[in-house]
This record gives sequence, C-alpha cells and structure tokens, in this order.
Amino acid sequence: MTATATRPPDAAPPATGGRRTPKRERQGAAWVFLSPWVLGAAVLTLLPMAVSLYLSFTDYDMFDAPRWIGFRNYTQMFTEDPRYWRSVITTLTYVVIAVPLQLLLALAVAIALKSVRRGKGFYRSAFYAPSLLGASMSIALVWRAIFNDGGSVDNLLSGMGIDIGGWINKPGWAILSVALLTIWQFGAPMVIFLAGLQQIPAELYEAAAVDGASWWRQFRSITIPMLSPVLFFNLVLQMIQAFQVFTPAFAVSAGRGGPADSTLVYTLYLYDRGFTASHMGYASAMAWALLLAIGVVTAVLFRTSRSWVFYANDNDEGAR
Amino acid sequence: MRANRTRASCALALVLTLGGTLTGCGGDGGGPGGKVRLQFTWWGNPDRAARTEKAVKLFERRHPDIDITTSFAGFDTYLAKLATQAAGGDAPDVMQLDYRQINQYATSGILLDLGEHPELRSSEIDRGLLATGAVDGKQYALPAARGTETVAYDAALWRKAGVPAPTRSWTWDDWSDAMRKLSAAKTSQGRVGSIDPGQSEDVFEIWLRGQGKSLYTKDEKLGFTEDDLTRYWEWSNGLRKQGAVSPAEQTTLMDGTVENTPLGRQKAIADFNWDAPVSGYEAIVGKGLKMAPMPVGEDGTAGQYFKPSMFFGASAKTAHPKQAAQFIDFLLNDKEAGAILGATRGIPANDTIRQDVLPKLEGFDQVISTYQKQFEGKLKDPPPAPPKGDASLQKTFSRDYDQVSYEHMSPREAARDYITEAKAELRQ
Repeated sequence: MTATATRPPDAAPPATGGRRTPKRERQGAAWVFLSPWVLGAAVLTLLPMAVSLYLSFTDYDMFDAPRWIGFRNYTQMFTEDPRYWRSVITTLTYVVIAVPLQLLLALAVAIALKSVRRGKGFYRSAFYAPSLLGASMSIALVWRAIFNDGGSVDNLLSGMGIDIGGWINKPGWAILSVALLTIWQFGAPMVIFLAGLQQIPAELYEAAAVDGASWWRQFRSITIPMLSPVLFFNLVLQMIQAFQVFTPAFAVSAGRGGPADSTLVYTLYLYDRGFTASHMGYASAMAWALLLAIGVVTAVLFRTSRSWVFYANDNDEGAR
Repeated sequence: MRANRTRASCALALVLTLGGTLTGCGGDGGGPGGKVRLQFTWWGNPDRAARTEKAVKLFERRHPDIDITTSFAGFDTYLAKLATQAAGGDAPDVMQLDYRQINQYATSGILLDLGEHPELRSSEIDRGLLATGAVDGKQYALPAARGTETVAYDAALWRKAGVPAPTRSWTWDDWSDAMRKLSAAKTSQGRVGSIDPGQSEDVFEIWLRGQGKSLYTKDEKLGFTEDDLTRYWEWSNGLRKQGAVSPAEQTTLMDGTVENTPLGRQKAIADFNWDAPVSGYEAIVGKGLKMAPMPVGEDGTAGQYFKPSMFFGASAKTAHPKQAAQFIDFLLNDKEAGAILGATRGIPANDTIRQDVLPKLEGFDQVISTYQKQFEGKLKDPPPAPPKGDASLQKTFSRDYDQVSYEHMSPREAARDYITEAKAELRQ
C-alpha cells in the first residue's frame, strides 16, 4: 500500500485515460499528500467552528441538548450584561497599553543590537528567551508570586521607598502586571525587526550621512519608512494575539479575573461563562463576537496602512 | 481509471488509519492480560494524593484482575474538566463528586444507580447523610465524609489581647465585638481580627440559617431577599471600614488555599473555613491553632450543619459497573482503607470506620474529630442539594462583594446585582 502511494505518478501510466491522465494523477497525488492537513483543518478547525456558530444561537449547558433561541445570546450580551462590557473595556485597555509598549521596546532593542559588534548571538538569544517561556502557565504563576504583596518586586520597590503593597491585589495595578508580562516577551517582534533592519541598504545611510543628516533625521526619514512593512506586520500580529490574552490574566488572578473584575479580560470571561457557569451557547456567541471584532480592527489597520506603509521593492515582488 | 481510484482509496484508508492513531481513537479494550481497567478521578491536595494512591495500591493487590488509573486536580479545574468529559460521554468510571454536582449529573443520566449493585454496602453510613446522595429515590452517589464549618484562630494572640475565648453559644454580635477588640489590641501588632466574612457564600449561609432562613427553598428558589443580603454586606462592610476585618487588598488574595487566607498570610488572627482544611494552618500558626464553633443567631439558633464533604459516584456508561461498585465499597467500608485514608476527605461518613478510625487519628485529624464530636446529634439537617445552575453563584458572590469592598458599589447595588444574576442562573 505504501509503495502504491509513494510511487511517482508517471511510473506506470494506465492504459486508458488518454492525454489528461498524468495531470489528473499528479493532482490526485497532491491531494493524497495534502490530506493529513486538509483533514486536520476540516475536522479539527472548520467543523468545531461550524458547531460553535450553531451553538451561539442556542442555550446549551453541556448536559441537556442545545435549545435554539435565535439571537437571544447576542442581545443579552450587548444589552443586559454589564460584566461583558467591563471585560471589553479591560481588554481594550490591555491592548492599548501592551501592544505599543511591546513594539517600542522590541524596536529599541533591535536598533541597539544592530550596532553591537561582539556577542550579538548571545544578546539576541537572551532577549528572545522570554518569548519562548512566556506563554507558559509556570511563568505566569511566577509572575503572580513576584507581584504579590510581599513578593520580590513589591519588596524591591518598598526598599526604594515606593510602597505599593502588591500589584495583583489592586485594581489598576493588576492589569499592568499582566501587560508587563506581555511587554517582557518582546523577543519575537524584536527578531523580526532585526531582520527588517538588516534589509535596509547601507547606501541610504551613507548618502544621508554625506548630506549631514543627524541620527534622528536618518531614523525618521530612512529607518521608519523602510521598516514600515515589518512594523505593520508586527503590529497586526501582536494586536491579534493581545485581543486573545488569557493565560497571564488567568494565572495572575488565580482564575477569578479579580480584584474587582480588573483583570477579567474578554477570553477569561468567556471561559468563566462556558466552563464555570456552563453556558456554552453564550460563550460561543462571545467567541464569534470576538472573531468579528478582531476582523474589523484588522481591516481598519489594513486600510490605514495604505497611508503609512511604504513598500520600497514593490516592483521586485513580481520577479519571483 | 480504475487503478487510479483503487490507489487513491488505498491511500485514503492509510491516512485515515494513521489519523486514528494520532488522535488516540483506539478502542478501549481490556487492559494487558485481560485485566479490567477502571479510571478514578478526584480533586485534592498532595496529602490526599499520597493516601489515595496507597489505598488504590492495596485494592489492586487484593484484586489482581483490576487495574486502576488515577488522576487528580485542584477543585476548580477538576469541576470544569469533569463537566467537559461528562458532556462528551467520557466520564471516568469512578469519580469524586461535590454536593453541587449531584443534582445535575444524576438528572442528566451521567451517574450509575448504585442502589442496584449489592457489592456496594451502605448500611453503615448515617441515614441523613446517605439521603443527600439520592435523587428521585435512587442512590446515585455515596457520601465519603462529612465536614462542618469553623472559626480557626490563633489562641496565643487571642489570649494576649485579653479578649474572652469563644464559647459554644457566642452570637454574631459577640463575634463582631471580639474582632473589633482583637484588631485594636496592641499585642496583635497590626493584625486584623478576621477575614472579611462578606466574601464567603458559605459563611452567609450559616448566618442566614441562624435566622431560620436558607440559601435555597425546597422548591429550588432563592431562600433570601435583596434586603437580607444588603443587611449582611452592610454589616461586614462596616467591620471592614472599622479595620476589624481584612481590607479588600487582603481579601481578594483568597484563592482556595489556606496559605493565601489572611490568617495564612499572618495578617489576621481568625478565619472561617471548613474543618478538614484547617490542618493546613498548623504549619503557619503552630501549636496555638484552635477551632471554635460558628457564631449562632440572636435567639441561639445554630446555623452550622454537617455537610457531606464529598461523594463517590460511578459513570452510567462504565463497562465494568460491578468492579466500580466494588472499588467504591472498598473506599467507603474497608477497615484497612479507612485506616490509610484517615480524615483526608473529612471525618468518614461510615459509622464503624469512624468509631474505628477516630481513636487512631494522629495530629490535627484528632483535633478535627474532637471538634465534630461536640455537635453529634445537635445540629439541624443539612439543606437539600443546591439546585441546577448554582454552580457559578459562589464565585459571583465573592465577585460582587469585591465591588463593595473596593468601594465601587454600595452593598445594596451589589446585592441587587447578585439577586439578578442568581435568578437568571436558576432560570426563574
């Protein structure tokens, strides 16, 4: 069987079938090789999505069969649930704080690293490491411990005369500690920035230097425009991720979204509705609203990108 | 063309087989060597894990043909995971259950009617407790142990402050006075009297029962009004403002472990908790740790009750109902198992095991046992199992009170919020 599947398509052309057979066979083989991914996408992604779309129009508690209720979940969400809107505002606050700061830090470190001559590899790995660790629950738990009342950050700040008394137990401060966890993982966008910076032709800087342009002038007129496609890419990517933040908020608040709902981000509230309160229909509706919202924000970003993203090599792109 | 089609379908078959392996869709046949394999899940701490594993090993030695796979998690995680498994028709053969799950799981056909399996004896279990595991006359789950609430406190600090020790008949007013005096005493070194009782639905229930009311009525409606809850929160919030109980920043750190309670963090002198977990304070407080009864209502009505701390049940879909019943019987009724498990799930519900195990209990288990003995036959019946839909209300309760203690809402506003959500959850 294996032999059959892996034999080159043109090894044994069937007697019948005429001229078109080789192409069809090649297509067949392509589908066979693709099938694990196609099947995976269909069974593990598309099917669950379709089911969740259906569930979003039902009242479903996981035990009794789903009951069709039309748009009831959506109207309840938008008009009767104050906590839903609190979670939306919390998430927006988080996105607005975490994404720009993370990108700014990533860009600053990338520019600093670009001119480092020795040990570049070491610094790059060191700054990238948090991105590898950061998504895990264990780091988030460590985060809870160090920002707790009597944790190391709190003790350090108290030692310097800044007495906050723990971050995770104060509304306002708690979401900041969640955002800091994200900002700390600036390694991934940094590596992409670094690659982008190295693509900028050195002649541009040389020419500018000859004309007497200052560092700031070079940065504004060469680096930023030339880097704008990469900046745009990072912005879209990080923003989509930020809207779906879950693990740090879950761990920092011990799964409760506290204090006083201040870390109850969108997906945490979704989890709470679905898995604690057993309202799977409502949770599905929330998931679809989030998908649409992220879609809209991304579309808006793409629209505005026309006015600030500069593709220097537009013409080269057709070559390959 | 035909060869082509055969080839494609062969390849497809191969891929599907591979896919099946990858997703672990293999059949769940017997274990190696024709052994019966049972899956047993529960929630708990490392101490319970060690003792449970030991008991399971003993059972496997006695029944070489049965192989038991165990897994455990923290309470919140366990509930969410079990609900998902059960909904997917994949509930474990034997599971530890909470009071709040029985109703939902029994009426949804997830639990096996254990009354039909004579292997499982229930004659030695207290009648009143046994009834809490029955729904519509069928015994879906058996209580493993019982617990009751308590005021755990640091007796050394209490004495130094010169406050009279708690008595069996102290009222909520006595309690409030004691907390005010404790927090004001110089010897307390800035510690407050207690955790803020406003965040706990469990404490609220005892307070309600002391006034002859209840969380839920017999026909599964709310047993209290917005006014009751407002009164409770105004009282606790007043104590918070006076500094007699923990500030919002300490209260919000509660995460279900004793280490993160104000008493566990050495910021308070007393705490409310169920009796079994109180042993966890011993490492922090030391020998001065004592347990007092919950305060009673103005007219002396005691609100506290013996609650079945957890149950064992079996899946309606298990392939081996007989062996599952045998295993539950072992956990509940076997003397050797009883000696190994001790009071790790609470004081055993089985009368014989209790008589047998109690004198042998070591360390803090003995204190808990003595604490329970003073109430024997003196407490009112436990309330019926909470209705469907109440699963998330305990969290809602502390969340709404968070809004009060951080002064984002008045007690009345928060109470209105809670009642609205509770009614929606109970579908009233």
